[in-house]
Amino acid sequence: MNRRDFLKGLVGTSYVVLSGSSVLAPLNALAASGADASDGWLTTGSHMGAFKMKRKNGVISEVIPFDTDMYPTDMINGIKGLVYNESRIRYPMVRLDFLLKGHQSDTKQRGDFRFVRVTWDKALGLFKDSLDLIQTKYGPSGLHAGQTGWRATGQLHSCTSHMQRAVAMHGNFVKKVGDYSTGAGQTILPYVLGSTEVYAQGTSWSLILEHSKTIILWSNDPYKNLQVGWNAETHESYAYLAQLKEKVAKGEIRVISIDPVVSKTQQYLGCEHLYINPQTDVPFMLAIAHEMVEKNLLDNEFIEGYSLGFDKFLPYLQGQTDGVEKTPEWASKICGVSPEVIRDFAKVLTKDRTQILMGWCVQRQQHGEQPYWMSAVLATMIGQIGLPGGGISYGHHYSGIGVPSSGAAAPGAFPRNLDDGQKQLFDSTDFNGASSVIPVARWIDSILEPGKTIDANGSKITYPDIKMMVFSGNNPWNHHQDRNRMKEAFFKLECIVSIDMNWTAACRFSDIVLPACTTFERNDIDIYGSYANRGLLAMQKMVEPLFESLSDFEIFTRFAALLGEGKAQEYTRGMNEHQWLEMLYNDCKASNEGKFEMPSFEEFWKAGYVYFGEGKPWVRHQAFRDDPEINPLGTPSGLIEIFSRKIAHYEYDDCPGHPTWMEKVERSHGGPGSKKHPIWLQSCHPDKRLHSQMCESTEFRETYTVKGREPVYLNPEDAKKRGIKSGDIVRVFNDRGQLLAGAVVSDKFPQGIIRIQEGAWYGPVGKDGSKEGGAEIGALDSYGDPNTLTLDIGTSKLAQACSAYTCLVDYEKYQGKVPAVSSFSGPIEIAL
Amino acid sequence: MSTDAVNTEPVEVNPVNQVRSTIYQLLSSLFAKEIDHKTLHDLTSEQAQNFWAQLGSESAFKADVNILVAELATLNTDKALLELAADYCGLFLVGTKFSASPYAGLYLDNKPTENGDEPLLFGEQHQQMTQFLKQSQLQVQSEFPEPADHLAVILAYVAHLCIHSDEAVQLSFIEANLTNWLSRFVDKVTEVDNGNFYQALARLTLSWVKSDAEWLASELN
Repeated sequence: MNRRDFLKGLVGTSYVVLSGSSVLAPLNALAASGADASDGWLTTGSHMGAFKMKRKNGVISEVIPFDTDMYPTDMINGIKGLVYNESRIRYPMVRLDFLLKGHQSDTKQRGDFRFVRVTWDKALGLFKDSLDLIQTKYGPSGLHAGQTGWRATGQLHSCTSHMQRAVAMHGNFVKKVGDYSTGAGQTILPYVLGSTEVYAQGTSWSLILEHSKTIILWSNDPYKNLQVGWNAETHESYAYLAQLKEKVAKGEIRVISIDPVVSKTQQYLGCEHLYINPQTDVPFMLAIAHEMVEKNLLDNEFIEGYSLGFDKFLPYLQGQTDGVEKTPEWASKICGVSPEVIRDFAKVLTKDRTQILMGWCVQRQQHGEQPYWMSAVLATMIGQIGLPGGGISYGHHYSGIGVPSSGAAAPGAFPRNLDDGQKQLFDSTDFNGASSVIPVARWIDSILEPGKTIDANGSKITYPDIKMMVFSGNNPWNHHQDRNRMKEAFFKLECIVSIDMNWTAACRFSDIVLPACTTFERNDIDIYGSYANRGLLAMQKMVEPLFESLSDFEIFTRFAALLGEGKAQEYTRGMNEHQWLEMLYNDCKASNEGKFEMPSFEEFWKAGYVYFGEGKPWVRHQAFRDDPEINPLGTPSGLIEIFSRKIAHYEYDDCPGHPTWMEKVERSHGGPGSKKHPIWLQSCHPDKRLHSQMCESTEFRETYTVKGREPVYLNPEDAKKRGIKSGDIVRVFNDRGQLLAGAVVSDKFPQGIIRIQEGAWYGPVGKDGSKEGGAEIGALDSYGDPNTLTLDIGTSKLAQACSAYTCLVDYEKYQGKVPAVSSFSGPIEIAL
Repeated sequence: MSTDAVNTEPVEVNPVNQVRSTIYQLLSSLFAKEIDHKTLHDLTSEQAQNFWAQLGSESAFKADVNILVAELATLNTDKALLELAADYCGLFLVGTKFSASPYAGLYLDNKPTENGDEPLLFGEQHQQMTQFLKQSQLQVQSEFPEPADHLAVILAYVAHLCIHSDEAVQLSFIEANLTNWLSRFVDKVTEVDNGNFYQALARLTLSWVKSDAEWLASELN
């Protein structure tokens, strides 16, 4: 047929085919007038620092560090990709089987099955219906909305606060205590030093640089970890690290990194390395203490005046209670450090002013309370706690701790809790005999074994029978241990809701997925420098929320409206985004009246920031040292507790009354399980991400991946033995799981050790590498999430914190079918 | 999508161009959103049956038109519509690697620009399409919050050009913005689609655009 005739034949049939509409509209007057008026440079920030951002033609085109940021992180190159990446959740979505069958859906389909787009009204309606059902059928113990995480920055839009306030307006729910980062540390240290220490401001860097002669970095990598902060990070700590580097070069300060691996900080500072076998810090510390006693290197006066219970600890140290004297020879066999080095190290610690800077890794292992407790005991024996440049810190690698605080009052935030007198839709507080608060890392246990009673920090916890989870800006499919066990637990859940910006694994394993916009698609204010509190930062909206995403404020205002007449108004206290920001700012201004000058809100917003100036140098525990009676610690005795009567009274076999070495269920270098799986897996905080945040930033991720996969750092000899070279795809495995990662062979990693940084997005595919089967137990992780392999047990009956660092694996060159990485593409459909 | 830009056409339009425009518009609409009850009704009406029959009379379109008609006939339950919506979602609304997101920028080789790598979404192609639309006093509907290099936007713009510009302009736009990536997109849809509807639609779109470009070229000669 002639083409023209064919087309003519269609005339008359086609007009009414679709009476619909077009995706195009006439250009509106504003856009027609020329360049977008809002194009140009704006100020904003994130955990990664403060930035200037350029908006061009309605799209973020450039991101540069804020003028004051002298040490910006190269993660700034990933910011644009956080907004415009393939993993964005574009619309509210519901898993098809959940939409069809609700709480009777096939939960085994979770993780790789079919979603459909729904309207916001429909999605929020389903969310509310599920909450109704859970509260009616099970009461508040059926709902866990307390798994919360690192969120995005901003005092108004903080997703945790919005979700928990809104869900609390509906009814009560199970919450968590503690966190994955410092679970053991923050539990043990209040018994020993009277505060969590991990989140406390520390001695100012300037005083450390002035007074310390020796600095011990104990499993601590501040150069890596200070790139990010809880609020917009100022990166001022890096100026001090630069000075330290100079002093190391000049021989003015001796820095020793005690670590199984060569850390980024060690490489930067050019400092010394003291290798230690993984998980064996406690025997090493005990032997140092033993040597200090032997050689009388300890400060008896300080021990006497400031601590309690050394006399109860000493018999253990000397082997009178358990028949094992904690000599350097004894420790050496476990920790791999020679007796001579241990003896010498005891001298090094006690010779001059010594600042010990502990990292957090050593407490994320079985009995993770012990290295923290024992390090405090060592610091007490050295006797320099409370002196400038002496003593012990547990936080100088975190959020700018050690940069003096300005002393200004910080702004408030959108409330996380209900207002006084606010009525809930379901006000039952009956948790069916179960606990309403559980240790953060024990929620999977709780889902799997409801009703079980465990010990935790001196209390008995009875696991609630959790039927529904709500996650907001939180990706537990990153930070929790043992994916296969998580799958077993998720099969038991009736409903899971995730609110996030991007299709994290947590979203892919959910039933209702709601798109939140990124930090750069709303207005907010933030504290500039979490501990320095250097000023306030305006977080100016760069672009409108992409696709159908909404701000957390908007999402939960709409949700609150479903709870009844006037509830949205109650939720927002009748204020919109602008009014909230103005109020938070003005309240802060009032608190700082007469002390710190602050301009009007309008002037502040125009400038993008307000500075509070620098703070004064400060020494941790100085007041206590000056007068322990007037300024006691927060311990039961007010003194440093080398022996804790309280803990002893709990009678825990895995956390006795004083620091104790206990063998691990898995330990490399000759320890339990090392014959079968000889390699220790180190899953430290990533260098190029904030936990799992920014893994989805495509172009930036591609700067460090190997064949599109997360790098696994391998020891050269171990790799050679297995026929592996850099660039190969490696299968890492143990009895708990398996993953693929890209080999980077490096002499920074001693034999028997590999590193895969946490935060690598979980992307399960079939066991044999085929596309189907990612939801099944035993699936192969296609990208390299180390928590596919880690062990899901509590640290001890005390903290019940996570033990991700107690993990043995083996690895081989991957010979099977190489699957495409499935982590970043949203839910993957499988053929029926 | 209330305001219909395509309805603002001049009074006298060549009926052949009108029909071409309508077909581009139809294809655009089918990629723009899931099929709901109303669309299903429109696509299965008696009038529509005549249209499909006529369209299928061309051998290049026949096989895929037959599949579409057969698939539409099976959509007689809410569940069937939802299953098709899930196909649509998995193909066009999530991810890029295991799906077939309908953005031109994903299928064209992005050259490095002065700002380094362009992002995957809302990149160079989006900017270019936005400019094209602007030149024609058009923009993407606010109810369609997608990048301007979405296939539905490009097809709708060709529908607009069919009645508002000469054949040379139409052909050069189609060649510069559609035929240079469409076959790669269609391969992806065919590879990823669990069902039959969207791969048939994608193939039909490709054969339609190809034959239309050929026809435009022959008209110009």
